[in-house]
Amino acid sequence: MDLLGHETTDLEREVLRLYNDLKTLAGRDDTPPCVQRNVKKALACLWQATNDLDLSFEQLRDLGV
Amino acid sequence: MDSPYWNPKNEKMPREQLKALQLLKLRRMCDWAAAECDFHRRKFEKAKFRPEQLKTLDDLRRIPVMTRAEWMECQAEKPLFGDLVTAPREHAIRYHLTSGTSGRQPLRVLDSMKDWEWIAEMWCYGFWGFGVRPVDTVFFAFSYGSFIGFWGAHYCCEKLGALVLPSGNMTTENRVKQIVEMEATTVCATPTYALRMAQTAREMGIDLPSSRVNKVIVSGEPAGSIPAVKRMLEQQWGAKCGDTAGMTEIGTIMIFECAHQPGGTHIIEDNFIEEVVDPKSMEAKGYGEEGERVVTSFGRGFIPLLRYRTGDLVMRMPWNKCTCGRTFDWYDGGIRGRTDDMKLIRGTNVYPRAVESIVRECDEIDEFQIVLWRKDNVQDEITVKIEVKPQHAAKTAELLPRLGKDLAAAHEGLRFNVEAVAHGTLPRFELKAKRLKDEREYK
Repeated sequence: MDLLGHETTDLEREVLRLYNDLKTLAGRDDTPPCVQRNVKKALACLWQATNDLDLSFEQLRDLGV
Repeated sequence: MDSPYWNPKNEKMPREQLKALQLLKLRRMCDWAAAECDFHRRKFEKAKFRPEQLKTLDDLRRIPVMTRAEWMECQAEKPLFGDLVTAPREHAIRYHLTSGTSGRQPLRVLDSMKDWEWIAEMWCYGFWGFGVRPVDTVFFAFSYGSFIGFWGAHYCCEKLGALVLPSGNMTTENRVKQIVEMEATTVCATPTYALRMAQTAREMGIDLPSSRVNKVIVSGEPAGSIPAVKRMLEQQWGAKCGDTAGMTEIGTIMIFECAHQPGGTHIIEDNFIEEVVDPKSMEAKGYGEEGERVVTSFGRGFIPLLRYRTGDLVMRMPWNKCTCGRTFDWYDGGIRGRTDDMKLIRGTNVYPRAVESIVRECDEIDEFQIVLWRKDNVQDEITVKIEVKPQHAAKTAELLPRLGKDLAAAHEGLRFNVEAVAHGTLPRFELKAKRLKDEREYK
């Protein structure tokens, strides 16, 4: 379901899954700087996509993003 | 997927759903502000407001309004950023300042990585909506300093895949040369500076309408939606001219003109709630009524902006008065002026934008300046100084009384002094133009 309670499409589910995977990766503290910083950058982009599609709306301060 | 909309899902969303989305985001932003932002928590407590009171969008009015004065005050009390920020500065990746056009203490803002992504995204709604595509080459006539200006638009163009030409501290002549040599298709500037580049191109013997430029996107001044200014820009560049408007306090744009050009700018309503109110009573204004913008943003987490009084004057129109298919309402004439712009001259209200719209109807005029002064220490006077284009110099004697008459007719018969000055003597501007000089002494 999206934020308004509508059934999500396959594409939306895929975007949301990627976003959640990136959140998990961004939360790890065993990644080298090249992974850590690029994952955070990618997460900021995916946050925007999930926000645009009304799949998620949250702050990412605790992940430093 | 070729779409005229950057975000088709939300830009075409039925109004009822759009309002439900706004309410949901509003509750979350208020929860965030109440939990993490001392500034808002203090204001909420004083107003006895709790986020759970937000049952419908009408409950928005329970949230206390926020002013620039309060923001400045909290910065002064707790330098550098006040208690409005929700994270330590180590979490930020960008720092910007307001332009300080009004001479007040500048506001300092910080943005996180996510916030900065969102800032570029709002420009994407506007640029894509006006027709910018990955094949475009976009020239920014912008000095890339601490004023936020077109920074977000630059990142927007990188995001949407266009080729970006940043011009930094280039001279106007070099900018014009690069626009032509690099075959720019889109030029971004303030309306004033876009006119200046067109003038410089003429002086250099360059015919801009025969260049590859087909879109001029302006921001930073109300003039972008003045029909006469837009017409001049479109004629002098041989390109479509689209208006946008934003503010440093938001970090980005909140309104943009779509390719259908309804005579105004759409509100990005899935990311903002825009209220239009009477500046004195704070009563809500309806469609077609002029009032002050009060903005709530869903974008910046670092600096939550809730019911911020902007001082911008706007007139809201319903979404279906534009043919583009968006369900976002729009502002007729974009930003129509500022509540603090109004000058009182011998009992008549004078707005610089209204003067500009009349001056710009005269194709013979290149540049102008409004000077307010006091005669014999008693009587307020208003003088409009104009520079006539050299090729129209012979028409000056006929132009002066005609312009004076037009200005008086639009201002309840108020007498305007109109003076011609030598070409090239009035100030030129790159960023926000300051064409009003108030030389009156206040005791």
